[in-house]
Amino acid sequence: MERKTINKRKRVFSLQPNKNPKAVFARRYASHLVPALNKINMNKPTSKKDHKSFEQTVKHEVGMALALSAQEFAWGRFLQHKLLSPTHEDPSYSSKILERSDYKQEGEEEEAEIKKRLKELQKLLPGGEEMNMDEMLSEIGSYIVCLELQMIVLKSLVQDNSS
Amino acid sequence: MMMNGATEAELLLNCTDMSVLERQKAHLKYHHPGFDPTLAGFLSGPSTINGGEIDGFLGTAGLDLPVIYGETTVEGSCQFGSGNFKKRKFDCVVKTTSEECNEVKKMMMMMNREDEEEEKSKITEQNNESSKSITKMKNKAKKEQNNCSNDSSKVTKESQKTDYIHVRARRGQATDSHSIAERARREKISERMKYLQDLVPGCDKITGKAGMLDEIINYVQSLQRQVEFLSMKLAAVNPRLDLDIDDIIAKEVVSAPMTNLPLPTTVMPSYEMVNAGYPYEMVNSGYLHCNPMQQVATSSDQLSCFNNGEAPLMWDSDVQNLYSNLGV
Repeated sequence: MERKTINKRKRVFSLQPNKNPKAVFARRYASHLVPALNKINMNKPTSKKDHKSFEQTVKHEVGMALALSAQEFAWGRFLQHKLLSPTHEDPSYSSKILERSDYKQEGEEEEAEIKKRLKELQKLLPGGEEMNMDEMLSEIGSYIVCLELQMIVLKSLVQDNSS
Repeated sequence: MMMNGATEAELLLNCTDMSVLERQKAHLKYHHPGFDPTLAGFLSGPSTINGGEIDGFLGTAGLDLPVIYGETTVEGSCQFGSGNFKKRKFDCVVKTTSEECNEVKKMMMMMNREDEEEEKSKITEQNNESSKSITKMKNKAKKEQNNCSNDSSKVTKESQKTDYIHVRARRGQATDSHSIAERARREKISERMKYLQDLVPGCDKITGKAGMLDEIINYVQSLQRQVEFLSMKLAAVNPRLDLDIDDIIAKEVVSAPMTNLPLPTTVMPSYEMVNAGYPYEMVNSGYLHCNPMQQVATSSDQLSCFNNGEAPLMWDSDVQNLYSNLGV
């Protein structure tokens, strides 16, 4: 209680909280994730058997936080729907690493290669398969940025709590 | 607001929110003029060139970006001969000229051969057919650059008269609408690819679409895997999580001074930003894309400010670091 009072006194508020879009996202993300984590933490099972499902829950919350913080993007909305739908399965991240092709001839083959990769990319982006190519390429940009920010927040959460 | 008649006629196809644009221009003039063209790529979402949807911020944000993009290109990379090419004058011919100059820049980078003849195409906007607004130009880059400013007045006059889109095909290329549309599509895609190239670390050394796409795919995969790993770690660490959300949210800080920061690249628009009329704040906020891989050591320290009730004195420097970190 005292700690809270002390902390409140030391709060610093931004004059323009919405100015920095990355901070906006990070703030939103943290504000979604932390309460969710606290909530599931209360029901944390002590047995190891349930740890897996606990991990699933955490993963789910992480995904939801990302989706909720990125509502402006189509992929964010899609991700939210996917996570909320009852048939949600774990996204299987393909660990296949594409090798760069040493294409020398131009034309058809190049186009096909590019198309193949674009399709790969589509699979990675939530909701990518329902978008056309242009849209997908734009969304990928925001997705990458949000993933990076998400990582920063997650890293800080992990590191601050593991010490 | 007072606006040049030419400007109104030419303004971006679905730019219905004039006041937002006005504010943006005001901000633009006020702030540091140099922005990175990749910004446009990011924010010129599906709705910019297609001009389709205006719903949602992407519509409005995207609208105005080609403006920025154009101005950026004009000021920055196009390197106009006339050094005193003022932004204010340029404002009048925002989109048209900017698009031409965009194309010039693209041509410079993408084309290997250049014709000796100068072919210009006059573009005029048609309100609901943004998908066809293409600039085709093929000539010596420098010549075109110098002429851009001169042409601006010509173009504005033309646009006032007609509302058709005149597209002149390049020399030696097919002129039917399909291939033109196809070409436009491909150019759009390469524009986006360029933006992504800046976003993904290590991509600038790779030439060729397929290689770049590979890198992008690998990067996204690695990011996703890292997130998965971190969430597992979080699950392991969770029991000791006793964060007070107030602490985290409350540690908002005065954002870092804008003018000090270098060119912004990736910026994420948000509803509040656009609706609150701060569209150019994000442009000028100077937040370069952050590479979490490179910042493992430092970022966590900065972000630990989130969770501790640290003294405000220490906070300031931390905060500055935090925001520049988020940016850099």
